[in-house]
Amino acid sequence: MSDSLEAYLVLSALLFSIGTFGFLARRNAISMLMSIELMLNGVNLAIVAFGAFIPNLARDGSVIALMVMAVAAAEATVGLSIVIAIYRNRKTPLVDEYDAMRR
Amino acid sequence: MELLIALIPILPLAGFVVTALIGRRLGREAHWIPVGLVVLSWAISMIVAAASLSGTAAFDTGGVGVRLYDWIPAGDFNIQAGFFVDNLTACLLIVVTTIGMLVHVYSIGYMGHDPAYWRFFAYLNLFMFSMLLLVLADSWLVLFVAWELVGLCSYLLIGFWYRRRSAALAAKKAFIVNRVGDVGFALGIMAIFANTLALGEPTLDIRESIRLLTEGAGAGGSLVIPIQVVALLVFAGAMGKSAQFPLHVWLPDAMEGPTPVSALIHAATMVNAGVYLVARANPLFAAAPSAMVVVAAIGIFTAILAASIAMTQTDIKRVLAYSTLSQLGYMFAALGVGAFTAAIFHLMTHGFFKGLLFLDSGSVIHAVHDEQDMRRMGGLSKKIPITYATMLIGAVAISGIPPLAGFFSKDEILGEAFKLGFPWVWAIGIVVAVMTAFYMFRLIGLTFWGESRVDPHVEPRIHESPPVMTWPLILLAIPSVLLGLVLGLPLGNSVLQGWLGPVFEEATTALHHAEGGYQLFGIDGALLVASVAVAAIGIAVAWRLFGVELGSFRRRANPEAVRSISARAPFLYRASLNKWWFDDLNDLLFIRIGGRVAAAAWWFDREVIDGTVNAIGAITRQTGRGLSRVQTGRVQNYALGIAIGLIVMAGSYLVIVGR
Amino acid sequence: MPRGLLTVIASMFVVGTAVGLPVLLWLLGLIRFGDDILFFVLAEILLVSGLLVVTMRDIIRCGLAMIVCFGALAGIYVLLGAPLVAGAQVLVYIGAISVLVLFAIMLTQTKSAPASLVFQTQAVGAALAAIVLAIVVVIAVAATAWEAAAQRVHTATDELAALLFSDYVLPFEVVSVLLLAAVIGGVFLARREEGGPS
Repeated sequence: MSDSLEAYLVLSALLFSIGTFGFLARRNAISMLMSIELMLNGVNLAIVAFGAFIPNLARDGSVIALMVMAVAAAEATVGLSIVIAIYRNRKTPLVDEYDAMRR
Repeated sequence: MELLIALIPILPLAGFVVTALIGRRLGREAHWIPVGLVVLSWAISMIVAAASLSGTAAFDTGGVGVRLYDWIPAGDFNIQAGFFVDNLTACLLIVVTTIGMLVHVYSIGYMGHDPAYWRFFAYLNLFMFSMLLLVLADSWLVLFVAWELVGLCSYLLIGFWYRRRSAALAAKKAFIVNRVGDVGFALGIMAIFANTLALGEPTLDIRESIRLLTEGAGAGGSLVIPIQVVALLVFAGAMGKSAQFPLHVWLPDAMEGPTPVSALIHAATMVNAGVYLVARANPLFAAAPSAMVVVAAIGIFTAILAASIAMTQTDIKRVLAYSTLSQLGYMFAALGVGAFTAAIFHLMTHGFFKGLLFLDSGSVIHAVHDEQDMRRMGGLSKKIPITYATMLIGAVAISGIPPLAGFFSKDEILGEAFKLGFPWVWAIGIVVAVMTAFYMFRLIGLTFWGESRVDPHVEPRIHESPPVMTWPLILLAIPSVLLGLVLGLPLGNSVLQGWLGPVFEEATTALHHAEGGYQLFGIDGALLVASVAVAAIGIAVAWRLFGVELGSFRRRANPEAVRSISARAPFLYRASLNKWWFDDLNDLLFIRIGGRVAAAAWWFDREVIDGTVNAIGAITRQTGRGLSRVQTGRVQNYALGIAIGLIVMAGSYLVIVGR
Repeated sequence: MPRGLLTVIASMFVVGTAVGLPVLLWLLGLIRFGDDILFFVLAEILLVSGLLVVTMRDIIRCGLAMIVCFGALAGIYVLLGAPLVAGAQVLVYIGAISVLVLFAIMLTQTKSAPASLVFQTQAVGAALAAIVLAIVVVIAVAATAWEAAAQRVHTATDELAALLFSDYVLPFEVVSVLLLAAVIGGVFLARREEGGPS
């Protein structure tokens, strides 16, 4: 099993969908951000898997995964500071209270 | 000559404009300009009429046309505005301008105390302009414009004392009933135009279009719209304007207007417009004999209907109004049987003596201080002699006693009706003649003879009218006496027939009127004697019941006899008194039933139509409100939408590519 | 039954399944010993901790589960022959991002947190969407003919470094700028207002 590309891709897909569920279903903003991290990790796994099974792309796969990781870090930073700023304003981390865009 | 013709209507128009603009400031002097301009217009029309009737060179080709300007240039088709004068127009001009001028002068006295003095003269001038435009028009469209203008002036003048509710209602009634006729007339004009268009030469010129239509109908071909229909539609307009049954209901109510208005508009000029219309379109009618029978029937029916109502009315002006209706009926009956010249003859004589009678009634009303009910008059002959004398002359004239004017024209109508094959018209006409003589002398008897029943407070103040009012009376009495002699002789081929013969030539030949000579000692003489005899009978009965005081010939009034006769025919008496319930019928049909229908339609419009429109709006609003709930403002909801979209796209891609 | 006993039984059940399932599969010959079992165990840990991240009520425990998840993922990276990525995973994700998340959780905790709902009203729809998404991707993966090598390829770190500084030098530099921007932005956004509410 560990030698089949499909297994890793299926694993990546499952991790991604778990992250999607968490993003769409949780009320706390920080939970949403954690789910986003899960999704990004799932994608990363797929990239590295491709790199592992396609000899030409072995090094590129890793490099791209490193880039994704860096971007994820930046995004987590900014996202969390936004949540903290909103929390200071609204006193709640629950996203269904953030409905100022309502008609 | 063209300039003179054009001036005839333009002078009163100028009078209207000037008086309307500065009249208020002129106060009691406001009459000089309008009256002066009307007198000038009268003078010019006399010149033009004389020129036409004496056959000057300019009028050789059947008449003089004056082209004013291109009114509606529309590519190939041009509508022009212009005037046309022939002998028929000349006769009408004489009547309209003479009576118009005398009424203007009379009004100086009659309306002297009225605060809206200037407005009266402005309207009168506007009316003169409209009526002159009507008789001078050479195209159907100009005639229709003038037709409507005349109706407007009638409305303005009937409702002159607009603060009085009854006057305002009467004016509205007149206008609306007129309008009903005008719908028919407008349809008729459209029909004429459609026919000329179909014949290839679209035109709205009156003579041209009539010529085209009669040729088109006569040559065995059929017009797009049959000529009977066209003739009847045109007659519908005449019915409205000249108050024939069933559109007669407005004329008695029109007596709410000041008496000079009644004299001018509703006796002498406007109501004659219908007669003029049919006379002008005589070839059209001659080509549709069935339509002519309709005209005759309606005319003579109106005559007897109105005469029957006049016999029991107590308001002096109402009697005269119904009398006008009745005489107009005579004119239409004459037109219907084909005696066109007789109809115009009666139009002219009637204009003069009915105008005289109305102005006289105004003088009487003025004398007894605005009392119009004849039951409160009586014995006025000594107190207002000039009025009495002229009114007596008018009554004799209308009853048809020779040698006054009414005899000639009425006898000609009845004689022609009999000779041209309409004995029933003649028979009914004879009955109407009896009734006419009767109710006229009933009026004289109640007003001038016998004991005074005038209100005791008013009695000492009864006085004759000022000269400005009595001179027109005298001036009108003269043609009432002499016009018949002037125009009606020699019998059988009168002066008037000589003038109007060419105008009606086409029609008379089309109708194949026999060219028999006038047999004074044959049939014509017999008819003549019959007319005079029935008039005498009517007068005698009136004298018996209502008294008479002519010189030494005296008889007392007999009110018990009147009561017993009315008691013996209660239904007829009541029917006559209630105007045969036509107003009630109209009220029922149009106000009540029509009102219900209108209310139902309004309900429908409100609930169904507006409801539908509102419902569409409401549905849109509700839908919007419902759909707007998608916008929760929460990002997660939107993200779920994105996820679903993504799944759908990926799934469909899989399905399609996998296939 | 007392709660403690319930917890013990539940965790025994879970651990038993977790251990027993790969053993069973090995016995059935579906997976080979060694790499395969390792992969299976790591995959189990990954998925279970991922589910815990998205379903647990207490947020701090979610954060901790996330750390476990990242750790398992690092293990899978090693299995895939990308040791540098695995190391970066541990350093960056577990060492930096998770700590950052835990800090943020502590700064935004409300006193009433445990009492309120965990899930939104649309959780059911979300679950369905996630499941369908997984199914779609799995079908796509299964239906594609990957021309994959039979064996995993190990990446040497020095070759990776060479590539990083030759072909991918521009993205490398841009990423560093991005990180700088993120740092500045983060500091600015979360800064306390002068005399404003804390």
